[in-house]
Order: sequence, then C-alpha cells, then structure tokens
Amino acid sequence: MSAEEYQYIENPMSVSRREFLSISGALIALTALPAAVVRRMAVKRNDYIRARTAGLYKDDTNAKVRVSHANQGVSRLYQDFLGNPLSEVSEELLHTRYIDRSRAMA
Amino acid sequence: MSTHAAILKHPLRVRMFHYFLVLSFIPLAATGVALFLKPFSEAAMNLLMRVHVIAGMVLTLDAAAFFVLALDRVVLFTKRAFTFGLNDVKWFAVLGGYPQKFLLRKKVPVPPMGKYNSGQKLFGACILVGGILLIGTGLSLWLFPHVIPHALAKAFGDIHLIAGLFLTLFLLVHIFLGIYMFDDFKAMFLHGRIPYEEAAEVAPLWVQGEIVALTDRS
Amino acid sequence: MEQITKTFQAGEVPGIIIIDAHRCKGCDTCKRHCATKAISGMFGAVHTIDAAKCINCGQCLINCPFGAPYEMVDAVNTVVSKLKDPNTTVVGIIAPAVRVAIGEEFGMPPGSLATRRMYGAMHKAGFMIFDNNYAADLTIMEEGTEFIHRVRAAVFGDEIPGHKPGPLPQFTSCCPAWVRYVELNYPSLIPHLSSAKSPQQMAGAVAKTYGAAKVWSVRPANVYTVGVMPCTAKKFEASRPEFRSAFAHASKEQGAGSGTPYPDIDAVLTTRDLARLLKEMGIDLAKTPEAADESILAQYSGAGTIFGNTGGVMEAAVRTVHAVLTGEELAPLEFKPVRGLKGVKTASVTLLDTKFKKEATVNVAVVHGLRENITPVLDEILSGRSPYHFIEVMNCPGGCINGGGQPIPAVGSGWLGAMSPLLAWK
Repeated sequence: MSAEEYQYIENPMSVSRREFLSISGALIALTALPAAVVRRMAVKRNDYIRARTAGLYKDDTNAKVRVSHANQGVSRLYQDFLGNPLSEVSEELLHTRYIDRSRAMA
Repeated sequence: MSTHAAILKHPLRVRMFHYFLVLSFIPLAATGVALFLKPFSEAAMNLLMRVHVIAGMVLTLDAAAFFVLALDRVVLFTKRAFTFGLNDVKWFAVLGGYPQKFLLRKKVPVPPMGKYNSGQKLFGACILVGGILLIGTGLSLWLFPHVIPHALAKAFGDIHLIAGLFLTLFLLVHIFLGIYMFDDFKAMFLHGRIPYEEAAEVAPLWVQGEIVALTDRS
Repeated sequence: MEQITKTFQAGEVPGIIIIDAHRCKGCDTCKRHCATKAISGMFGAVHTIDAAKCINCGQCLINCPFGAPYEMVDAVNTVVSKLKDPNTTVVGIIAPAVRVAIGEEFGMPPGSLATRRMYGAMHKAGFMIFDNNYAADLTIMEEGTEFIHRVRAAVFGDEIPGHKPGPLPQFTSCCPAWVRYVELNYPSLIPHLSSAKSPQQMAGAVAKTYGAAKVWSVRPANVYTVGVMPCTAKKFEASRPEFRSAFAHASKEQGAGSGTPYPDIDAVLTTRDLARLLKEMGIDLAKTPEAADESILAQYSGAGTIFGNTGGVMEAAVRTVHAVLTGEELAPLEFKPVRGLKGVKTASVTLLDTKFKKEATVNVAVVHGLRENITPVLDEILSGRSPYHFIEVMNCPGGCINGGGQPIPAVGSGWLGAMSPLLAWK
C-alpha cells in the first residue's frame, strides 16, 4: 500500500486541450455575458426619466406660446374674474396656508 | 489485483469544496425556506437574513475559489454532467434499477455507467446551472436591487426562489442516496478513496476508460 | 394610532400607501428611496410604513421590485359612476407629466407626447378637459408675483400697504410631498413656502367658480373635479380641509347655508389609475385619434408644460419674472442651468427692475430627490447662510415625470444615485 493509500487515479488526460478550452470558455462566457447585460441595463436604468423629460421639453419647444404671462386663457381669467395676481379673489381662491405638523414627530 | 486496491475518487480540492458547500448550502436552504414563509418575529427574520447572507458569501467564495483553483475539475465535471447518450435513456427507463431494488427487492439489468450515473449527471447539470443562477441572482438582490431594472429584479427573485426550492428538494434525495452509497459517503467526507472492485461494478465505463494505476506513472 | 391622528388634520386621508406583507421580501429597496425614514422593518423582515412620517410620495411604490407597496385610496370606480351620471359635469385635470408617460401603459415608448390622444380618449370617456398646464401658468402668475413682492421688499425695501411679503428664499409649493415634508420636519421654514396653491388646487378652485359659471354654465355642486396626476401625494393634498375655497367663495357670495360643502378637488387619479379607467371603459389610448380641445381652460404655454420636469417651475418662473421686471422676454427662453438630473442645480440672473431702475441679482436653486439632496440646502437656510432667493423643490428624482403615480417602468429603475452597490444589512 502506498503512502497515499490508493493505487489508482483518474487519468488527468481524459479531457483534451480542445475540450478544456471550449468548456471552460463556455462556462466563463455563460457567466460573464448575463453579468454584462445586467450591467448595461443598470447603466441605462434612468433612460425612461430622460425620455419623459425630453418629451415635455419638446412640448415646450413646439408650443406657440412659451411664457405663462402670454397665455390668453389665463389673461381672460384675470380680466373676467380674478382681477390681477394677488388680488383679493386670487388670495381667496388661489392661495393657502400651511400647518405645523411637527409636534407628533419624536 | 489486490482486494484492497483503491481509486482516488475525490481529490482533496474536491473534498474541501464539498465541505464548504455542505456548511453553506444547508443553512442557506433552511434560512431560505424560512425567509420565504416569514413565520418569525422581526428580529428573528433579520437574524435569518444575516445567516443567509453570510452563508451565501461562504458559498460564493467557495465556488469562486474552486473555479479558479480547480478549473480542471470543473471542466471535467461539466463535461461529464452534460454528456448524454443512449445508455442514459435506458438508465432512466429503469430509473437506475433503484425503485425495483428498494421496493421490490428485485435486481434488474442496468446499462453500464461512467463516474456518474445518469441521475447523478442530471443532478450535476442542475447544480451547475442552478448554482450559478442562485449565486448571480442572490448577489444582485443583496447588493443592488435598487440599481437593476424592476422587472429584472422581480425575475431574479422568482429565479432565486424556484432554483433554490428545486435544489433544496434535490438535496434531500442527494443526502439519502449519498448515505446509502456509504463507500461514496466515506470517500467524499473522509479520505477520497473508493474500493476498486466496487467502482468497477458501479461505474465500469469510468474504471475501464479513465482510471490509471499510479505505478504506471512513477 | 394616536400619532397618526397627530400629523393629520380632521378629514385628511391618513396615509395613502401601505405595504402588502405577503409580497414584501424585506430587501430594503424601499428604504433607499424613502425621504423621511418612514419605513421600518429590519432587513429580511416584512416592512411597514409609518403613516405619521410618510409624505405619500410613492417612490417606494414605483421602485419596489416585488410590487409590495400599494395605494389604499382608489377612486377609479367612483369616477366611472360619476361619468355615467348625466347630471354631473366631470372635469379631468391633466397634469403636465401625465402626457409623456401614460402612453407606456398602452405600449407606447416612454416620452411619447400623448396630450391630444388623451383629450380624445377623455372626451370619449365623458370628461370635460381642464389642462392643468393652464393652472401651471396661473401658478406662475401668482407665485411669480409673490416672489417679485418678496424680492422688492427684501432688496429695495418696497412696501405694499396691507400686505406683508414672506421671507426669502421663497420655496415653491407645487409638490404636496415637499409641503408635508416641511410641515412635518421643518415647521420654522413654513413662512418660506409660497402661499400659492399647487396647480391642481388652483385648477379645482377655478373649475368650481369661473369654470362652472362661465365655461360649462352649471352649478358648482354638480361639477366633479378629477385630478389626473403623476402623484400619489396629490390624493392626500386633495383631502386637506384648507381646499374647500370654491365652496367658501360661493357661500360668501350667496350668503351662508348654500348647500353641502364640496371640496375643490373631488377625486385624484394617478396616471396608472387613469390608464386602468380607460382600459375598463374599453378605450385604447394608442389607437385613439388625436383631438383638440377648444376650452380656454385647455390653453397652455410651453412654460406650463415643463412643470413636470425638475427645474421646470423655476424655468417658467424665471421667464415670467424676467419679463415682468425688465419688460423684455428672456432670450433665449431655454434656461439651461436648471435643466438636467443633477441633484441640486443653481443659477444667478441679474435683472434690471424697470420700476425701481435698479439691478437685482437673483440666485435660484432647484432641488429634486429630497432624500439625498434637501438637507444641506435647508441647513444653509436655518443657519442664515443661504445665498438663494428662490428654491424649487420637488420630492421625486427627476421631478413629477418620475412621480409615484406614474407608470412603473419595467426596464428601468428610479435610482439616480451612484451605480456602485450599497450593501443591505441593517
């Protein structure tokens, strides 16, 4: 009996070099490719925010009227009803007050 | 040929890998099932999650180290696990003769097998694929669930759950059969050796085709 | 329960968002998006939301990978029944950010501008259109004027009889999550908030006064206003008892006892809610032909539409304040320093005030993503070192277009922070 207590081992040459390279390559690729895809998706994770932002800026660029004080509908509202900004009716309908809710906070 | 002749079936590197796998996977499976069912208090669930994370790190490091330090074994294992042939169909047709042996105490002819029988090969393929999936999805869900796209994170959660349950069920069968094949059990947990005669009977193709005597090389 | 009642007024919805314990995996993603640390539950355990601290922004809801948080308040069925009632004029108030996102629920790519399709679909469903962009323009008129008063008082010592301008810097008040954040955590800064209502509440008040009388010629009590918002916190805002001003106005005009009180905004649908409503009514937005709406309450400017983007309110305000003070339009109209996704954006504009014949340099700041970016800005103000005169604050990263009521993007995440991983542990 040998010092290592066994007389037979697996033939280390039972995998050819070609098999070794293709199998290890396939294993590495199958692990790395999904990781790369996930990474790419993570890098592009905010694209929907940018797309929506761009959509609104495009709406602005294409608008005929691009400043609030030139909105004819708003001017009509002031003429017909509110008077002018911060008028009494404006204060009543379009302004508000806030309350202190902090006392319940520990 | 001496009746005491032995083959080194599981080299030390493989046994070390397997030790750490046992140490990590059993707690992972147990805590994983508990984390899915959520039966305990907040602090207990947190403890389970911490154990799950630590065990997951052990398993990941174990797998990574084995991949780097024993790439030859990984390749050999992969090749064996994914090599299927007509014999495997025949093996599955009689389910390796095990049900007949256990239930009917009857011995049926079984096609000759290599190092792993067809069932073990299927198990190996599932461990390889499932293990990579579990590690990848688990790490992602632990480290950066907020960075990956929502649908992907959801899919990762589902994959993690299904692969985990699948491998946990497989584990029960694996433990049962592993202890039943007690020589294999000793080989994996103790010395790595398996008697030549038994190997020649259980895995004739392996012994004939892939085994060499040490003396031939020295 | 006691604490909940303490941070809510009588009549307010006590919290909008709760977490489904069955779906929660305890992964802590929601905590990373929460501005107020309102979410408790250790890593691995089921999480819960403390409604007393929650500002209802819905960022947890749109960012949970497992869909665990959900809204308790759902007005879809109520609105459908109101639409079927011939005696009710149902007014749909469409927020800016909805038009570039709702298409996603009908298979259109993100950012598709669907204003006219929405008009068509909502006409078909039975809505009168009140484009909230109109109210955004109105907000600029009120809030911009308020800002000019504050600046003239602070810089030139100008005084308006019977009117005491608030302190500088002035905060925008469009974002209900931000307003509740200030009310909860920084009550000493409340005077800095613009007194102007949010566009939704202005729209509600205008719809039930001017709109009812001059546009639709119906009784205000028969007008049912539906905010279509990218926002879950708008559901809370609509329930605030302050916002009964159309009824108060009518009572004052016609004397007391003029019927049961009605709120300015009767119901709020998120973008997702409206998509569900349209689908329930068998209306496919993507296949709906584009339509115009001739109502004056659907007229809007480009300045109103960009309210949905972070920096949009500021850019709109700068355009109008520039024109009012200097008498000339800002050129170019694009005010680039406040655009983009940087957490805190700052800019300075020097304006020649034609009334006082003096120059004033106005420093503005734009903050979005409260959780990461607001604390340093507020600390500066508290310590008296803030260089800013006007600060736009939106809770959600990117502004309302990424609000808690928007379609949940499958291939995206609202995380604007660093890509490098953060470890979940605690």
